[in-house]
Amino acid sequence: MVQINFSLKEVNCKIVYYGPGLSGKTTNLEVVHQKAPGPSVGDLTSIATEGDRTLFFDFLPLNLGQVAGMKTKFQIYTVPGQVYYNSTRKLVLQGADGVVFVADSKRGKMDENIESLKNLGENLKEHGLDLSNTPIVLQYNKRDLPDVYSIEEMEQALNSWNAPYFEAVARDGHGVFPTLKRLAGLVLETLNENHAPRRSPSVVAPKGSVTTGEGSTAATAVATQPTRALNATATSSTGKSTTRVRTTVSAVRTSTHAPKVRTQTSGTRPTLITSPRRRKRQTGMWMGFIVASTAAATVLLHLAGIIKIWS
Amino acid sequence: MVTDSDHLRNQRIVFYSEDIERIDAILCEFLKLSGSKCNLLIDKEGHMVTSCGDTDSIDEQSVAALVAGSYAATREMAKLLGEDEFSVLFHQGKRDSIQLSMVGDRTILATVFDDQTTVGMVRLYARNACEKMEEIFEEIARKPKRSGALDAEFGSSAKGALDFFFTE
Ligand SMILES: Nc1nc2c(ncn2[C@@H]2O[C@H](COP(=O)(O)OP(=O)(O)O)[C@@H](O)[C@H]2O)c(=O)[nH]1
Ligand SMILES: [Mg+2]
Repeated sequence: MVQINFSLKEVNCKIVYYGPGLSGKTTNLEVVHQKAPGPSVGDLTSIATEGDRTLFFDFLPLNLGQVAGMKTKFQIYTVPGQVYYNSTRKLVLQGADGVVFVADSKRGKMDENIESLKNLGENLKEHGLDLSNTPIVLQYNKRDLPDVYSIEEMEQALNSWNAPYFEAVARDGHGVFPTLKRLAGLVLETLNENHAPRRSPSVVAPKGSVTTGEGSTAATAVATQPTRALNATATSSTGKSTTRVRTTVSAVRTSTHAPKVRTQTSGTRPTLITSPRRRKRQTGMWMGFIVASTAAATVLLHLAGIIKIWS
Repeated sequence: MVTDSDHLRNQRIVFYSEDIERIDAILCEFLKLSGSKCNLLIDKEGHMVTSCGDTDSIDEQSVAALVAGSYAATREMAKLLGEDEFSVLFHQGKRDSIQLSMVGDRTILATVFDDQTTVGMVRLYARNACEKMEEIFEEIARKPKRSGALDAEFGSSAKGALDFFFTE
């Protein structure tokens, strides 16, 4: 749900990266974190298992800059892809304004893609939404692999409602920005349609125009306003997200088969790349216990789920 | 019948300055009375609404996201245990502690405090502050919805910002 805050002069939107496990959702966020201009992205926070699998979510705040006098921000999340994490997926999806569905192009992964998309549809339904009335962009990832489905096969199997799609090699950074740009455009377009006083010019190319690969960026790249945007960057550079931190919290390790849970004592360990400041350490410390308790809550949820299934 | 676009229309949440000023006044009074370090008001989606006190040492956006996630997970846990919800959550650290309280059904008050005060003090005054804020939110909900919240150039301006931001 978009938050328009006239007091902070902010527009806040929530974007969720969805898709089967290991399709490249976290990688997308890592690329955005690296590629986006320094002051416009905050820290990338991951609540992950020790094996770097997403446990609860990854989170990246992104500041687009001033849009018609409003500081426009996206809070970007990924969900854990593993089938048995549906309860946490639902929590993360709650209130999302747009979804990037990252599909794995590797041959043999189609069932997982379809299963995950179906699950997205079901979870959206619980919030009174469906795939066709929510801003969604599909990303066909891992196009670099030797044995991939053709784009036609991906389209046929997944894209029944003609959503925009992009090919990507997220690991090398290809296709990541075009995907996010398009989704952000759709989200702001929806907002613009519903909130601007009269019909103001649309944000993205008209619906129905099929986008293929990275070439589509050209289609939307009209009427840039570099002056305004430059101002925006100048303003946001006074923000405080200048330090880039990759905070990986290996708080909990879970396993599918044995419901054994081992809680480890390691808290947040931010690796500071630039200008370490004291405040970061403080933040890290008490963000540590929010994260740890969140992780514990998540595990309890799973356990509760498991117990319910067994009893 | 509710159309798609009506549905999306209802999905927004707008905070106006005059309402936030009243909320800020309550937050700051609560800050003084309880002796806490800072207060963050966060909506259920994890967006910041407003804050009061010393927030310099905090990455507000990340904290807001984690608080909302933590709250959502706990609410699910409450459901599994047959509780409606746990209306107050408390995380204790060596030096700083944080208390989360639900304000109405859409926002969460996060209070950060240290040994300058006690959990009891924070809890006592938080309950009072939450009640006052709930009244304000109910008042806001009763007000007729205003339209045309955003500037007419929002669309074109957004396009420019996106093109500028996402240059490879
Ligand atoms: N070959 C290839 N591997 C990728 C690509 N994108 C991500 N990966 C790898 O796939 C694995 C899972 O990625 P991750 O982002 O953790 O998946 P998630 O579970 O969706 O978050 C990692 O080892 C990535 O390096 C890609 O475009 N091509
Ligand atoms: Mg992941």
